[in-house]
Amino acid sequence: MWNVKTKSAAFAAKPVVSLAGILALALLSGTPARAQIKIGFQAPLTGFAATDGKSAKIAAEMAIEEINAAGGELGQKLELIPYDDQAKSDQAIFTANKLIGEDGVKLVVNASYSASGRAAAPVFQKAGVLMISAYGVHPDITRAGDLMFRLVHLGPPQGHAAALFIGKDLHLKKISAITMDNDYGQATMDGFLEDAPKYGIQVVNKYSYSLSDRQFGSIVASVKRDEPDGVYATGYFFTAGPLVAQLRAGGVTAPIIGSQAFDSQKFIEIAGPAAEGTYIVDSFDRGRNDAALQKFFAEFAKRAGYPPENVAAITYSAVMLMADAIKRANSADPPKVRDALAATKNYPLLTGDLIGFNKLHEVIEAISVNVVKGGKMKSFTKLNDLEAFAPPEK
Amino acid sequence: MYYIDLGVTGLSFGCMYAMMAVGLTLVYGLLRILHVAHAAVFALGAYATVLVANASGSVGLGFLAAVAVTPLFGMAVYRLLYEPLLNYRADVPMIASVGLLVLMQDAFRIAFGEQGVTFRNNRFAFTTFDLAGVRVNAVQIAIMACAVVVFIGLHLFTTRTRVGIGWRATVSRPKIATSFGVDVVKVRYMNFAIGSALAALAGGLVGLLDNLVDPMIGYVVSYKALAIIVLGGLGSVRGTLIASLALGMVESYGTIFMGQWLNRDAIAFLALIALLMIRPQGFTGTRTV
Repeated sequence: MWNVKTKSAAFAAKPVVSLAGILALALLSGTPARAQIKIGFQAPLTGFAATDGKSAKIAAEMAIEEINAAGGELGQKLELIPYDDQAKSDQAIFTANKLIGEDGVKLVVNASYSASGRAAAPVFQKAGVLMISAYGVHPDITRAGDLMFRLVHLGPPQGHAAALFIGKDLHLKKISAITMDNDYGQATMDGFLEDAPKYGIQVVNKYSYSLSDRQFGSIVASVKRDEPDGVYATGYFFTAGPLVAQLRAGGVTAPIIGSQAFDSQKFIEIAGPAAEGTYIVDSFDRGRNDAALQKFFAEFAKRAGYPPENVAAITYSAVMLMADAIKRANSADPPKVRDALAATKNYPLLTGDLIGFNKLHEVIEAISVNVVKGGKMKSFTKLNDLEAFAPPEK
Repeated sequence: MYYIDLGVTGLSFGCMYAMMAVGLTLVYGLLRILHVAHAAVFALGAYATVLVANASGSVGLGFLAAVAVTPLFGMAVYRLLYEPLLNYRADVPMIASVGLLVLMQDAFRIAFGEQGVTFRNNRFAFTTFDLAGVRVNAVQIAIMACAVVVFIGLHLFTTRTRVGIGWRATVSRPKIATSFGVDVVKVRYMNFAIGSALAALAGGLVGLLDNLVDPMIGYVVSYKALAIIVLGGLGSVRGTLIASLALGMVESYGTIFMGQWLNRDAIAFLALIALLMIRPQGFTGTRTV
């Protein structure tokens, strides 16, 4: 700030010098510096989702710096053009149009939520811009067209995986099902309920709660009466924490199996000792013996001041995968990058090995299960039966 | 046993709503203002409790801080927000109140983070007592005990003490009370102070029960408490108490019949709509303290 002020004051005092300075600057920027490949970037940097958005941006910048330090792609540097979409659909459309119109971006990494990603997708598709959604889970994102890709499992496949895990790995038969009644919670639960009979799971009772609820006394009493072998619940860490704490305090001792968004250290912080033994399906396997992952952990923590969650890791991988696809396509042209992405085979994401994309550009990837042990997320098992939780093809 | 479990849960929900709603109904009785920002006071109480408890290591100190800070805040809201707007239509201060609530929620988010704050040392949420086969959480017991003490105290205060009787007179017949020498402005300050302290107590207890204080904490109780005071017959403490307990019970027992399709909030509002269609004047229909 201060520098700018003093400079402009100096320019004002000597108009001749200032003109010369501007000319010199114009010349400098006009000299043939290497052209850049622009990567558009949308994330919620303010508003209710800002925690995730900031993590995502730090991770994306790390990826860009790393790529550029290794010489960039196609002999060009990559440049990240970030915009704040506030996780809102109107902001997503507005910033998507800016990326297309003002910045002339052809490739985008969308590190935002479902509502905003879903709104931006058709805008990019129509403009011939390729987009990778790092963690948006709404089905409409990939349905927007052939230039859309997604790096996480949709809700229903996550639910299918939960049924597989509960039935085949844990051998639990009687389950009480607790649903968070938003898109994500319900879609995931639908997947579970659909596949539960396949594995001989009987759903004793279903309950639903709202995103803003933190008191589950009546559900706890009902689950106690159900006397289930296990409890399957969908939710975010901030509902899951009180839910699990209250289930345990209420005397429910059956194993609790949670959905992906339980996966946060904050969940353990809220539920305290009650979190012990909770399984989380489709979680982030942090403990993998992977040098890239451990390096990412260290570097991210250094920059952000806190350890990375799933969102940061997958956003980093989304940018890396984009660069990889540009290299394989030998072009930054969206249709060519699309074909290269679609042909991806066994690419190591930080969150796990991407086997490839299906016809709809949904991920084909094993699903890992974490368990809370000693106040930490620990890897429990990996579900490799890809058929059991195959993503939809249309 | 299941029904007793649900009963205890319903009772604790009801007591929590009652402590929250009583301040709201008193403000309405006194000033004809829907004090929507009361939910922000509830949240402020919860934040004060958790922050001081974590800093000092004592949950008791946390509650003390909450009950000390929020009356000041409540009185400031009256002085700075409502008093200048008293001569306008009732919807003007209400809209100002909504504005304050939204502002406060975002302020909490910015100051203390989106993810919320947990108690560093919360034995209470994880302590349960087995009373003849019914498991009751220590915080649930505290909520019920607080509500009982608070309402008996309020009753004694408004029937046995001079100040309390003056308060009651001001709520039901402000002009006559003034002519008998009751200082109406002092009553208003006292009203905001006591109402805010009760909301803060409820907020702190809910934070303790959830082991989480996040910016959303006041959100549900805000509109539920509004519905409760309407159901209780605006301005009536007795009506509010009945309506709170009834709502708690409906939410709890409603899970048996509708839990599969509807969440607790939806069940509550379904019941509220039905009740208000039958008794639009609320349970009591008169203003009393």
